[in-house]
Amino acid sequence: MEYLLHILILIGIYVILSASLNLIAGYAGLVSIAHAAFYGIGAYVVALMALNWHTPLWVNLACAIILSCLLGALVGIPSLRIRDDYFVIVTFAFQVITFSVLNNWVTFTGGPMGLPGIPRPEVLGLTVSSHLGFLLLIGLFCGLTFLLCHRIVRSPFGRVLKAVREDEVFAQAAGKNVAACKMLIFVIGAGMAAVAGSMYAYYITFVDPTSFTVMESIFILSIVIIGGAGSLRGPIVGAVVLVTLPELLRFVGLPSSVAANVRQMLYGGLLVVFMMWRPQGLLGEYAFEKGSTKG
Amino acid sequence: MNAAAQVFANVLMSAAIYSLVAVGFAIPFRVTKFFDLGYAAVFALGAYSLYVANMWLHAPLWLSCTIAVLFSVLFGCVLEMSVYGPLRRRGASPLVLLLASLGLYFFMQNSISLGFGDAARSLRLGLWNDGYSILGARVTFIQIVAVCVSPAIIGAVVLLLRATHVGRTMRAVANDPELARACGVNSGKVILIAFAIGSALAGVAGALVGLDLDMTPTMGMSALMMGVVVLIVGGTESIPGAILGAFLVSLAQHLGAWQIGSQWKDAIAFVILLAFLMFRPQGFFGRMVKKAAV
Repeated sequence: MEYLLHILILIGIYVILSASLNLIAGYAGLVSIAHAAFYGIGAYVVALMALNWHTPLWVNLACAIILSCLLGALVGIPSLRIRDDYFVIVTFAFQVITFSVLNNWVTFTGGPMGLPGIPRPEVLGLTVSSHLGFLLLIGLFCGLTFLLCHRIVRSPFGRVLKAVREDEVFAQAAGKNVAACKMLIFVIGAGMAAVAGSMYAYYITFVDPTSFTVMESIFILSIVIIGGAGSLRGPIVGAVVLVTLPELLRFVGLPSSVAANVRQMLYGGLLVVFMMWRPQGLLGEYAFEKGSTKG
Repeated sequence: MNAAAQVFANVLMSAAIYSLVAVGFAIPFRVTKFFDLGYAAVFALGAYSLYVANMWLHAPLWLSCTIAVLFSVLFGCVLEMSVYGPLRRRGASPLVLLLASLGLYFFMQNSISLGFGDAARSLRLGLWNDGYSILGARVTFIQIVAVCVSPAIIGAVVLLLRATHVGRTMRAVANDPELARACGVNSGKVILIAFAIGSALAGVAGALVGLDLDMTPTMGMSALMMGVVVLIVGGTESIPGAILGAFLVSLAQHLGAWQIGSQWKDAIAFVILLAFLMFRPQGFFGRMVKKAAV
């Protein structure tokens, strides 16, 4: 039962992550591999504040979101100037720098040793410590994330994002502020990733840099792509499939040293297969090409 | 030991490797216009096939190096023929190709981890790794070889691009694939040749790094990222730019390593990259990247 709840909690965290990346990559067409960096920033802000100042959940969460948004804006600046495949490289650079800081600034972040012993959060006077409690908490944030995504996508702003994705020059010619739209959605996505990071830190009670590597970013991107970019339900389906699929490997009886590699080979292989035969993913509408959307 | 001389020697060594990787990456990049992250897998495969040939099959070093380069070329061509070629013929965007190559890299890196483990592997070369002292700097034989081989190979590539028929058709396809095809150039074949040359350079660089340092499954990505940084700093269209970029980036990295600590080398390179992309995205010698054609 604990195991099942653990899987559901993980799915919840990845739904928040992939839904927010979907706004950036699926709706605005900006493929980012820095999402694990914002995830990590959220987790570390919460961990550091909870450990050093014992501040409550809402304060920590707010600070995590604000810092992540600010850094998102910093990375967003080059996105206004360059082509989409260069944007991938910029976000890669930010991801590497973030990992480097988390890993090497030992006095502040604990370096490779990480930060253990994050206290349990208190919500409405109750200490959340059971799996069920966390599932409810994370479920709440998943719901909020979904509502926010739904609002954004159905709003005029969401339609402008899709227009930017399909034909940037046309959107500009129609009088839309393309640069501001890209920036705004990137910042919103970064903030939402920080929420997922905060939840992760509270749930695991330990953060270390290896949870927030490029591999993690690629994993989140795979969820978006395989679930379906540019679809509200896509990331949910993707997160369920990609989180539970490797758990099935566990039942095949692979030793854990092998299983980690096999799992990642599976993600890589799936990414290639989907790009070759179904770039729009299981449910998606965006196939990572300008003007490709059908229907 | 003279610190300044040592820094200079280190800069020379990493500039030799970075420029080799950058030029090798740039050749297919110029004709296909997409970031091929599978290049990192080709690089790592070069190093690991050297390891297999030398340590498991006990081949002599020169033969192992040849096998490593041939294996890289073969692998690069297989990637092009099985994945990139079909995608390109379908009219896939550079972004789709990039994502497919990311998947390929991820797959290959983990295959190597599975086969060889995540721990660093090194060739036991005995006397070869003994250092010489030149002007107070400590350098190994392999490093001297790398510093000589890299300019020689880059020179040969420049000659190939400038003076041969293959080079001219390659530049024609890079400039305008449609027009080249109309003039009877078989663009598929030209792209395959570009991949073969690029992969050969990756194999050489991979083998040199494998000989000089340890090899790890992620060595390809770190090398490729330095190559991409160097290429963007120098301007993607220009080989002299890549060489200049390689020197600039290695200089900054090694001065940084000397003054603030070697663990910040990656971060330094990527801060330079971000600065260039923000203020001069076309690099030193590049032309402006066109955002969209109307």
